[in-house]
Amino acid sequence: MGDGDGPLVEMTGVSKSYGGVRACRDVDLTLRAGEVHALLGENGAGKSTLMRILCGDITDHDGEVSLAGRPVRFGSPVDAQRAGIAMIHQELDLVPGLSVAENIFLGREPRTRYRTVDARRMVRRTRELLAGTGIALDPRRPVGELRTGEQQLVAIAKALSLDARVLIMDEPTSALSTAEVDRMFTVISELARAGSGIVYISHRMEEIGRIADRATVLRNGSVVAEFDARRMTAREAAEAMVGRSVQTLFRTRGHEPGAEILRVDGLAVTPRRARPGRREPAGVTVSVRRGEIVGIGGLLGSGRTELLETLFGAGSRGRWHGTVLLDGRPVRPRSPRQALRLGLAFVPEDRRVAGLAVNHSVLANTVLSIVDRLAVLGVVPGGREAGAARRVVDELRVKLRSVRDPVGTLSGGNQQKVVLGRALLTEPRLLLLDEPTRGVDVGAKAEIYHLLGAAAGRGIGVLLASSEPAELIGVCDRVFVLRGGTTVRELDTTGSSEADLLAASMGGGAAAEAIDAAATQGTVR
Amino acid sequence: MSERRRAVVDTLFRFQSLFGLIAVFVAAVIFSPSRNGELLFLSSDNLFNVVRAVSEIGIIAVGMTFVILIGGIDLSVGAVLGLAAVGSAVLLVDEDFGVLPAVLLVLLAGLVFGVLQGMASAMLGIQAFIVTLAGLQIARGLARITSGGQGVAIAYGDGPGEAPVAFSLLGERTFNGLVPIPALIFLVVAALAIAFLRVSAFSRHVYAIGGNEKAARLSGVPVTRVKVAVYGICGLLAALAGIIHAGQLNQGSPNDGGGYELDAIAAVVVGGTALSGGRGSVVGTVAGALLLGVLNNILALNNVDPNVQLLIKGLVIVAAAGLQRLRPDQ
Repeated sequence: MGDGDGPLVEMTGVSKSYGGVRACRDVDLTLRAGEVHALLGENGAGKSTLMRILCGDITDHDGEVSLAGRPVRFGSPVDAQRAGIAMIHQELDLVPGLSVAENIFLGREPRTRYRTVDARRMVRRTRELLAGTGIALDPRRPVGELRTGEQQLVAIAKALSLDARVLIMDEPTSALSTAEVDRMFTVISELARAGSGIVYISHRMEEIGRIADRATVLRNGSVVAEFDARRMTAREAAEAMVGRSVQTLFRTRGHEPGAEILRVDGLAVTPRRARPGRREPAGVTVSVRRGEIVGIGGLLGSGRTELLETLFGAGSRGRWHGTVLLDGRPVRPRSPRQALRLGLAFVPEDRRVAGLAVNHSVLANTVLSIVDRLAVLGVVPGGREAGAARRVVDELRVKLRSVRDPVGTLSGGNQQKVVLGRALLTEPRLLLLDEPTRGVDVGAKAEIYHLLGAAAGRGIGVLLASSEPAELIGVCDRVFVLRGGTTVRELDTTGSSEADLLAASMGGGAAAEAIDAAATQGTVR
Repeated sequence: MSERRRAVVDTLFRFQSLFGLIAVFVAAVIFSPSRNGELLFLSSDNLFNVVRAVSEIGIIAVGMTFVILIGGIDLSVGAVLGLAAVGSAVLLVDEDFGVLPAVLLVLLAGLVFGVLQGMASAMLGIQAFIVTLAGLQIARGLARITSGGQGVAIAYGDGPGEAPVAFSLLGERTFNGLVPIPALIFLVVAALAIAFLRVSAFSRHVYAIGGNEKAARLSGVPVTRVKVAVYGICGLLAALAGIIHAGQLNQGSPNDGGGYELDAIAAVVVGGTALSGGRGSVVGTVAGALLLGVLNNILALNNVDPNVQLLIKGLVIVAAAGLQRLRPDQ
């Protein structure tokens, strides 16, 4: 623990450059024992770099880091872990083929007398660990079978098992359901009470208000503001992050929706082969009209992603029941290619996994869906290809040096715009989006909402699945709520609150509890 | 790093295999033995011999480049070469086929063989390594059955049991006896492949599948079809190499082409194409094949022990792969 009242971690004058780009500039940051310190900033503001320095991942930086008053210089993350600093990365570093227990104790497995792995002890200790955090998971299940949210909880349990006194969490809730977030916050509070210091990186303002004590805002690698997190308003924070006053985050409505583009009635899928962790549609009813933004809500595992994949021809093979009408005609796309021909376009949930070839150029990624339409006798006219890419990149205001740069060098928000741009280039009638603003900073978020509004304004129907109630209520005209793969509620967003949405998502008695819990924490307006 | 320096470094790495080729070429000039004051290595005869010597591997490596670009691998190419060589000989000698029908039939067989492997891999979801390992055994077995286990000699003439004289052109040279025909075919195939890879919509799909297959599928790329086509192309080019092989040696031997798959993969890798897929070029592969050819040639000219030659080749492959790790975007 920290010596007396001195800070647990003190970073002074920390700088780090990549080539000519300064990722961190003369940053001072303190973390006290027992506090939850939120780190805010747009993508590329330097949060991750700063934290990677703290956890020993980056070693060639300028400036000082001291831990409990003693200057330290870690050679590797393992060094930092030994000193009690653990980080939970946004990209989870878990081995899918190993079990929960094996992942948690990877590299430091308990041994028997004969130096073999003591599997029983490992499982038992994992069970204790999970019980302490309220996570109900079988320690022997392979991590690869778990849903993303559950994997995230395993990563958290792993960090906890290190008995770290400094815990760095980079967007830990991005794939968690509301209930799981609550549970995790309880764990964080307990850790802080026991004297640990926690650095918490998130883009979700309401979470920061709930969990953090202090908030530091980074912009362009420098600290630009510090707030008392409990009194900070979302607008203050957003303005500090983007450096200009944010207009409205959400789009303004006002145009009349037109004829019905999509009508899904009682859609259910019986997969030929059941896959663990998938919630196939089991009675989904959804409709989208021209120029309308319709939301798909529901908890993690309610089947939002599976519904969009099914509509786009990318779901499980198997029998369909119910009807799907596109412009009044029954359709059943059997592949994404067919779906695109029907006028559907899809922005998948995880852009690095399913959206982009990150080593390939922005150009190649942007025009991928239309190269064969551009081609004349199989030959792509280079000029038209580059022209199409430049046009969409300009239109979406993607920040880049050149369309020939690898898309992986862009910030998260700009990468997301490239995926969206590719979808828009196909001139779809119906745009399907799965978590389009996950891991995207406030500025880019606002721009993406604006772009969706503009698309709807041109008569495109938009179907948007999201885990953020605020997003669904703020952006959509109507929201269909799924539970267990079934539509349980249709909400008109004018006159509905996030709490209504949450209640419908959870259903039954749990809803009332959730609203109570949320109310006591002050998130219900 | 300044903008300018970055651009220079980028270019250096992009054309790494070309620079490597130049370096090996210069080294070859320096170490070349001379006769009557003339450098043996630089004689036009010798230089075209280098190209001729790499033409079979080079043609195979062009096809292999496509396969590796989609993140696959084809281990069957050497055996397909053997099968195609035997097939050519049997059709020409025993079945009295004309040159054109025989060549077309063998090319078609190579294409079909590749397509079947592509379907097994893309539709049944069996790993390409395993499918083509099985393909290797099957092609080798077919070659031995067809030939009765013996090399089928090709004699030229008009009579029965003799191949049309036109086929022997594959062992000849053109342009005043300067350019060996196999070298010419290799260069034409390479040029076509380079152009195809640069301008076609198909190539965009190939790169996309190698870069991120899931993203490619969701972007509307017909992944299965492209994969099947790529293995088809690879099989077709392996068969073409087999025909050339038969023409050069005037026989179809069922055991020929053993280990060619590894030489082809080496050329692709030295040429800077990533085994993980999605990045690389046929230009690089051609440079890689020529680099290995020049190296072989200069070592042979200096009468280096063949076993030591293997050692040096191995080191060059590792060095080339190691250099690619230094790329700034890695």
